[in-house]
Amino acid sequence: MNLISGVDITSGALTAQKIRLDIVAQNIANAQTTRTPEGGPYKRKIVSFENELVKRAGGSPLQTISVSSISADKAPGQAVYNPQHPDAGPDGTVQMPNVNLAFEMVDLITASRAYEANLSVVKNSRTLAMKTLEIGK
Amino acid sequence: MIDPIFQSENYQVARKLLDAAALRQEAIASNIANSETPGYRRLEVSADFAEQLKSRVRAGDLMAVKDTLKPTLAQDPFARSVRPDGNSVEIEKELLAMNKNAVEYEYLTEIVSGNIKQLKMAITGRVA
Repeated sequence: MNLISGVDITSGALTAQKIRLDIVAQNIANAQTTRTPEGGPYKRKIVSFENELVKRAGGSPLQTISVSSISADKAPGQAVYNPQHPDAGPDGTVQMPNVNLAFEMVDLITASRAYEANLSVVKNSRTLAMKTLEIGK
Repeated sequence: MIDPIFQSENYQVARKLLDAAALRQEAIASNIANSETPGYRRLEVSADFAEQLKSRVRAGDLMAVKDTLKPTLAQDPFARSVRPDGNSVEIEKELLAMNKNAVEYEYLTEIVSGNIKQLKMAITGRVA
Protein backbone atom coordinates (compact mmCIF):
# COMPACT_ATOMS: atom_id res chain seq x y z
CA MET A 1 0.00 0.00 0.00
CA ASN A 2 1.21 3.45 -0.83
CA LEU A 3 0.49 6.30 1.56
CA ILE A 4 2.00 8.88 -0.75
CA SER A 5 -0.74 8.48 -3.36
CA GLY A 6 -3.22 9.76 -0.80
CA VAL A 7 -1.11 12.90 -0.65
CA ASP A 8 -1.21 13.24 -4.47
CA ILE A 9 -4.96 13.69 -4.30
CA THR A 10 -4.63 16.19 -1.47
CA SER A 11 -1.91 18.23 -3.16
CA GLY A 12 -4.22 18.87 -6.13
CA ALA A 13 -6.89 20.10 -3.75
CA LEU A 14 -4.38 22.28 -1.85
CA THR A 15 -3.21 23.97 -5.06
CA ALA A 16 -6.78 24.55 -6.20
CA GLN A 17 -7.89 26.04 -2.88
CA LYS A 18 -4.80 28.24 -2.76
CA ILE A 19 -5.60 29.67 -6.21
CA ARG A 20 -9.14 30.30 -4.97
CA LEU A 21 -7.74 32.22 -1.98
CA ASP A 22 -5.50 34.25 -4.31
CA ILE A 23 -8.46 35.18 -6.48
CA VAL A 24 -10.54 36.20 -3.43
CA ALA A 25 -7.64 38.43 -2.35
CA GLN A 26 -7.50 39.95 -5.82
CA ASN A 27 -11.26 40.58 -5.87
CA ILE A 28 -11.20 42.27 -2.46
CA ALA A 29 -8.13 44.34 -3.34
CA ASN A 30 -9.88 45.55 -6.50
CA ALA A 31 -13.26 46.22 -4.89
CA GLN A 32 -12.93 49.95 -5.74
CA THR A 33 -10.93 49.77 -8.98
CA THR A 34 -12.67 51.69 -11.74
CA ARG A 35 -9.86 51.78 -14.26
CA THR A 36 -8.32 48.59 -15.72
CA PRO A 37 -6.04 47.89 -18.70
CA GLU A 38 -9.02 46.32 -20.51
CA GLY A 39 -11.00 49.49 -19.88
CA GLY A 40 -13.95 49.95 -17.58
CA PRO A 41 -14.28 48.89 -13.97
CA TYR A 42 -12.68 45.73 -12.53
CA LYS A 43 -14.69 42.57 -13.15
CA ARG A 44 -14.90 40.07 -10.32
CA LYS A 45 -13.05 36.82 -11.12
CA ILE A 46 -14.53 33.37 -10.50
CA VAL A 47 -12.51 30.16 -10.13
CA SER A 48 -14.06 26.97 -11.43
CA PHE A 49 -12.75 23.56 -10.43
CA GLU A 50 -12.63 20.36 -12.43
CA ASN A 51 -12.14 16.72 -11.57
CA GLU A 52 -9.00 14.87 -12.49
CA LEU A 53 -8.45 11.15 -12.21
CA VAL A 54 -5.34 9.97 -10.40
CA LYS A 55 -4.25 6.55 -11.60
CA ARG A 56 -3.02 4.28 -8.86
CA ALA A 57 -0.93 1.16 -9.19
CA GLY A 58 -3.28 -1.80 -9.02
CA GLY A 59 -6.43 -0.07 -7.88
CA SER A 60 -9.36 1.99 -9.02
CA PRO A 61 -8.42 5.59 -9.89
CA LEU A 62 -9.25 8.31 -7.39
CA GLN A 63 -10.45 11.81 -8.13
CA THR A 64 -8.52 14.93 -7.32
CA ILE A 65 -9.43 18.47 -8.27
CA SER A 66 -7.67 21.21 -10.21
CA VAL A 67 -8.56 24.70 -11.41
CA SER A 68 -10.12 24.50 -14.88
CA SER A 69 -10.54 28.22 -15.55
CA ILE A 70 -10.56 31.69 -14.03
CA SER A 71 -13.31 33.68 -15.68
CA ALA A 72 -14.86 37.08 -15.17
CA ASP A 73 -18.24 37.57 -13.53
CA LYS A 74 -20.47 39.13 -16.21
CA ALA A 75 -22.89 40.73 -13.75
CA PRO A 76 -23.00 44.52 -14.04
CA GLY A 77 -21.59 46.61 -11.21
CA GLN A 78 -23.36 49.41 -9.45
CA ALA A 79 -23.51 52.86 -11.02
CA VAL A 80 -22.78 55.40 -8.29
CA TYR A 81 -23.48 59.12 -8.67
CA ASN A 82 -20.16 60.82 -7.94
CA PRO A 83 -19.36 63.74 -10.32
CA GLN A 84 -16.02 64.46 -8.58
CA HIS A 85 -14.63 61.06 -9.57
CA PRO A 86 -12.10 61.21 -12.45
CA ASP A 87 -13.81 58.24 -14.14
CA ALA A 88 -17.30 59.68 -13.90
CA GLY A 89 -19.30 59.73 -17.14
CA PRO A 90 -21.05 62.81 -18.61
CA ASP A 91 -24.09 62.13 -16.38
CA GLY A 92 -21.90 62.15 -13.24
CA THR A 93 -22.18 58.40 -12.48
CA VAL A 94 -19.24 56.02 -12.00
CA GLN A 95 -19.44 52.32 -12.92
CA MET A 96 -18.15 50.47 -9.85
CA PRO A 97 -16.73 46.90 -9.91
CA ASN A 98 -19.23 44.05 -9.40
CA VAL A 99 -17.41 42.86 -6.27
CA ASN A 100 -19.64 42.04 -3.31
CA LEU A 101 -17.51 42.01 -0.16
CA ALA A 102 -19.93 39.74 1.72
CA PHE A 103 -19.69 37.06 -1.00
CA GLU A 104 -15.91 37.35 -1.04
CA MET A 105 -15.63 36.95 2.74
CA VAL A 106 -17.80 33.82 2.70
CA ASP A 107 -15.70 32.42 -0.14
CA LEU A 108 -12.53 33.30 1.77
CA ILE A 109 -13.63 31.40 4.87
CA THR A 110 -14.83 28.36 2.89
CA ALA A 111 -11.58 28.18 0.94
CA SER A 112 -9.34 28.54 4.00
CA ARG A 113 -11.30 25.89 5.92
CA ALA A 114 -11.03 23.51 2.97
CA TYR A 115 -7.30 24.24 2.78
CA GLU A 116 -6.86 23.48 6.49
CA ALA A 117 -8.79 20.22 6.21
CA ASN A 118 -6.61 19.08 3.31
CA LEU A 119 -3.50 20.10 5.19
CA SER A 120 -4.49 17.95 8.15
CA VAL A 121 -4.83 15.00 5.76
CA VAL A 122 -1.22 15.56 4.70
CA LYS A 123 -0.06 15.69 8.33
CA ASN A 124 -1.97 12.54 9.14
CA SER A 125 -0.61 10.64 6.13
CA ARG A 126 2.87 11.62 7.19
CA THR A 127 2.33 10.36 10.74
CA LEU A 128 1.07 7.04 9.37
CA ALA A 129 4.03 6.73 7.01
CA MET A 130 6.43 7.39 9.92
CA LYS A 131 4.65 4.75 11.99
CA THR A 132 5.17 2.28 9.15
CA LEU A 133 8.89 3.01 9.17
CA GLU A 134 8.98 2.36 12.91
CA ILE A 135 7.69 -1.21 12.57
CA GLY A 136 10.10 -3.55 14.32
CA LYS A 137 11.90 -0.80 16.23
CA MET B 1 11.16 -21.40 13.76
CA ILE B 2 11.06 -18.09 11.86
CA ASP B 3 8.08 -19.03 9.72
CA PRO B 4 5.53 -19.56 12.46
CA ILE B 5 5.90 -16.00 13.76
CA PHE B 6 5.27 -14.40 10.39
CA GLN B 7 2.50 -16.82 9.58
CA SER B 8 0.75 -16.54 12.91
CA GLU B 9 -2.90 -15.63 12.60
CA ASN B 10 -2.57 -12.32 14.44
CA TYR B 11 0.24 -11.24 12.16
CA GLN B 12 -1.70 -12.10 9.01
CA VAL B 13 -4.87 -10.36 10.16
CA ALA B 14 -2.92 -7.29 11.31
CA ARG B 15 -1.27 -7.10 7.89
CA LYS B 16 -4.60 -7.21 6.09
CA LEU B 17 -6.10 -4.62 8.43
CA LEU B 18 -3.07 -2.38 7.88
CA ASP B 19 -3.67 -2.59 4.12
CA ALA B 20 -7.28 -1.62 4.72
CA ALA B 21 -6.29 1.27 7.01
CA ALA B 22 -3.83 2.65 4.44
CA LEU B 23 -6.52 2.40 1.77
CA ARG B 24 -9.03 4.11 4.06
CA GLN B 25 -6.58 7.01 4.46
CA GLU B 26 -6.60 7.38 0.66
CA ALA B 27 -10.37 7.29 0.57
CA ILE B 28 -10.56 10.02 3.22
CA ALA B 29 -7.97 12.11 1.34
CA SER B 30 -10.12 11.83 -1.77
CA ASN B 31 -13.31 12.67 0.15
CA ILE B 32 -11.83 15.80 1.72
CA ALA B 33 -10.26 16.93 -1.57
CA ASN B 34 -13.66 16.60 -3.24
CA SER B 35 -15.68 18.11 -0.40
CA GLU B 36 -17.04 20.73 -2.81
CA THR B 37 -17.27 18.72 -6.03
CA PRO B 38 -20.91 18.59 -7.18
CA GLY B 39 -22.34 15.07 -7.30
CA TYR B 40 -19.34 13.45 -5.61
CA ARG B 41 -20.25 10.42 -3.47
CA ARG B 42 -17.98 9.62 -0.54
CA LEU B 43 -15.66 6.62 -0.87
CA GLU B 44 -15.13 3.98 1.76
CA VAL B 45 -13.31 0.65 2.03
CA SER B 46 -15.94 -1.76 0.72
CA ALA B 47 -17.96 -3.52 3.43
CA ASP B 48 -17.35 -6.73 1.51
CA PHE B 49 -13.76 -6.84 2.79
CA ALA B 50 -14.73 -6.70 6.47
CA GLU B 51 -17.44 -9.34 5.94
CA GLN B 52 -15.08 -11.76 4.22
CA LEU B 53 -12.32 -11.23 6.79
CA LYS B 54 -14.76 -11.81 9.62
CA SER B 55 -16.17 -14.99 8.08
CA ARG B 56 -12.67 -16.38 7.43
CA VAL B 57 -11.53 -15.61 10.97
CA ARG B 58 -14.61 -17.47 12.21
CA ALA B 59 -13.97 -20.38 9.89
CA GLY B 60 -10.30 -20.40 10.91
CA ASP B 61 -8.81 -20.57 7.40
CA LEU B 62 -6.54 -17.57 7.76
CA MET B 63 -3.83 -18.93 5.50
CA ALA B 64 -6.17 -18.28 2.57
CA VAL B 65 -6.51 -14.64 3.66
CA LYS B 66 -2.89 -13.97 2.86
CA ASP B 67 -3.15 -13.99 -0.92
CA THR B 68 -6.78 -13.85 -1.89
CA LEU B 69 -8.39 -11.14 0.21
CA LYS B 70 -7.76 -7.57 -0.91
CA PRO B 71 -9.50 -4.42 0.35
CA THR B 72 -11.08 -2.28 -2.36
CA LEU B 73 -12.71 1.13 -2.46
CA ALA B 74 -16.40 1.63 -3.13
CA GLN B 75 -18.94 4.39 -2.87
CA ASP B 76 -20.50 4.50 0.57
CA PRO B 77 -24.10 3.37 0.03
CA PHE B 78 -25.25 4.72 3.40
CA ALA B 79 -24.01 8.28 2.98
CA ARG B 80 -26.90 10.68 2.64
CA SER B 81 -26.76 14.01 0.97
CA VAL B 82 -28.53 17.06 2.33
CA ARG B 83 -26.96 19.41 -0.16
CA PRO B 84 -28.50 20.66 -3.39
CA ASP B 85 -25.44 19.58 -5.41
CA GLY B 86 -25.76 15.92 -4.36
CA ASN B 87 -22.33 15.80 -2.68
CA SER B 88 -22.39 13.38 0.26
CA VAL B 89 -19.15 14.42 2.04
CA GLU B 90 -19.45 15.82 5.56
CA ILE B 91 -16.06 17.25 6.39
CA GLU B 92 -16.34 16.89 10.20
CA LYS B 93 -17.14 13.21 9.80
CA GLU B 94 -14.19 12.74 7.47
CA LEU B 95 -11.79 14.40 9.91
CA LEU B 96 -13.09 12.24 12.76
CA ALA B 97 -12.81 9.13 10.60
CA MET B 98 -9.24 10.13 9.75
CA ASN B 99 -8.34 10.46 13.45
CA LYS B 100 -9.92 7.12 14.25
CA ASN B 101 -8.13 5.52 11.34
CA ALA B 102 -4.78 6.94 12.53
CA VAL B 103 -5.23 5.39 15.98
CA GLU B 104 -6.18 2.08 14.41
CA TYR B 105 -3.15 2.23 12.14
CA GLU B 106 -0.78 2.93 15.05
CA TYR B 107 -2.28 0.09 17.03
CA LEU B 108 -1.80 -2.30 14.12
CA THR B 109 1.82 -1.26 13.60
CA GLU B 110 2.36 -1.98 17.30
CA ILE B 111 1.02 -5.51 16.82
CA VAL B 112 3.25 -6.13 13.81
CA SER B 113 6.21 -4.67 15.72
CA GLY B 114 5.39 -6.93 18.65
CA ASN B 115 5.67 -9.98 16.42
CA ILE B 116 9.04 -8.88 15.11
CA LYS B 117 10.26 -8.06 18.62
CA GLN B 118 9.38 -11.58 19.76
CA LEU B 119 11.49 -12.99 16.97
CA LYS B 120 14.37 -10.68 17.89
CA MET B 121 14.10 -11.74 21.52
CA ALA B 122 14.20 -15.38 20.51
CA ILE B 123 17.38 -14.81 18.49
CA THR B 124 19.28 -12.59 20.89
CA GLY B 125 17.86 -13.73 24.23
CA ARG B 126 17.57 -10.10 25.31
CA VAL B 127 14.32 -8.33 25.98
CA ALA B 128 15.06 -4.94 24.43
